Amino acid sequence: MKKLLFLLAITFISCSKDHPVDEDGLLITSRAECYVSNFELLGVDFQTVRTKNAVIDTTACTIDVTVFYGTDLKNLYPQFSLVTDAKLDPKITGKVDFSDLANPKSYTVISGNRKVRKTYKVLITVQSK
Amino acid sequence: MRNIIIALLLLVAACKDKDYTVPVPKDALQNDCIKRTLGPNLAGLNIEFAYAMALPLTKGKIISAQVEASIAGATGTYLENKSYYTNGSGVDVGIQIGDPSVNENNFTKVNFTKDTNAVTLRYYYVIPKEAQGKSVTFTFSAKSSDGEAVSYKMGPYVISKMDMVLDLPVKDGDFISIADMAVYNLTDTATKTDKLDLVYLFRSIPNISFGHALVSPGAEREYLPDVTLPAGANKITKISKVWNLRDFHLARLQYGIYIDDLDFEQLKMSDAPDYAINLKSEAGAWIETADGKYRAYIYINKADDAKKSAVISMKRYMLK
Repeated sequence: MKKLLFLLAITFISCSKDHPVDEDGLLITSRAECYVSNFELLGVDFQTVRTKNAVIDTTACTIDVTVFYGTDLKNLYPQFSLVTDAKLDPKITGKVDFSDLANPKSYTVISGNRKVRKTYKVLITVQSK
Repeated sequence: MRNIIIALLLLVAACKDKDYTVPVPKDALQNDCIKRTLGPNLAGLNIEFAYAMALPLTKGKIISAQVEASIAGATGTYLENKSYYTNGSGVDVGIQIGDPSVNENNFTKVNFTKDTNAVTLRYYYVIPKEAQGKSVTFTFSAKSSDGEAVSYKMGPYVISKMDMVLDLPVKDGDFISIADMAVYNLTDTATKTDKLDLVYLFRSIPNISFGHALVSPGAEREYLPDVTLPAGANKITKISKVWNLRDFHLARLQYGIYIDDLDFEQLKMSDAPDYAINLKSEAGAWIETADGKYRAYIYINKADDAKKSAVISMKRYMLK
């Protein structure tokens, strides 16, 4: 019985460590890195609409993407790859309308420690004839 | 220690197998049935069943088998009069057991001419056009020489509202009508302006990927380069490109994917564009006509760049 109590005590101690989570239930870590590492843009057929790799400028916080001629800009699925533990705001929940080229869409990357925020602009250029 | 020995003894006793006995077959005529076709039931296609019947040798022989469909099958409906076995080379060899089946109203019947105790017969029901949107049920039955009769009910099976057309050849500058499920060339279009939903074109333009395209006659002219449109052809048809949707009925490939009525009902096309360019073989497109009457899926069976042509197949669903 004494042994059992001892084991329970150990279990309790090992579980009591504090793991802070944010409002999304995601773990807040010590990482301060905050950038987009890769960007993809898919059409309604889930095929890429990029003509080449997106150019991500982590200093200017811009993502330059050139898309195929005739791409339906109203129905695109963006995909962001972020540095470890970072998250994106707003969240991507489905198709996004990128047709207003004069007002590019902005997405904010939030670092793992939730203290650094960087807002990236997605600049789309349509391939011309 | 004593407890452990008792437990072990119990285990040994519990593991003893019962003696196997060969099951005794029922001393009567029996039957069973399975449906062999998968996917939605489309008018013009078959529903295939395998109907098995058997009785012990001492009881006599099977004298007839028949199927009653709640809606009479279209021309071509038949009950197989052969029983098949697979030979050593993997080939199905048929052995005739009766006369070819006879269709009479809703009944399809085979009278046995060979002394047969056990047989599985295939039944091919060609879905009639008038069954679209309805349910159909089947009653399979068999009779034996000792006066016994058995029956087996199958269904109900819902018959799809979809229409289908396969392998329509299209050439650069042809028009596609969803209402008619047909392809027209420019000279045909004089009296059909109100039915032209799409233009098929192929363009090889430097620096961009235009290729094979389906474009509404009313789309921006930049997507209809050098296309001659008949006067009044200006419909805005909604088009949504799809990849990897190789419907089994349309593509007839190895992929077990079927577009069903529900797919058309739940499709969201409100923000779809009026053109789709750079289409390839095995790609497709969801279509909604300008009047909202029809939705369709056009599958590209073959796209030929050199001949500026394609072969398309279509499933169509009437919304209104």
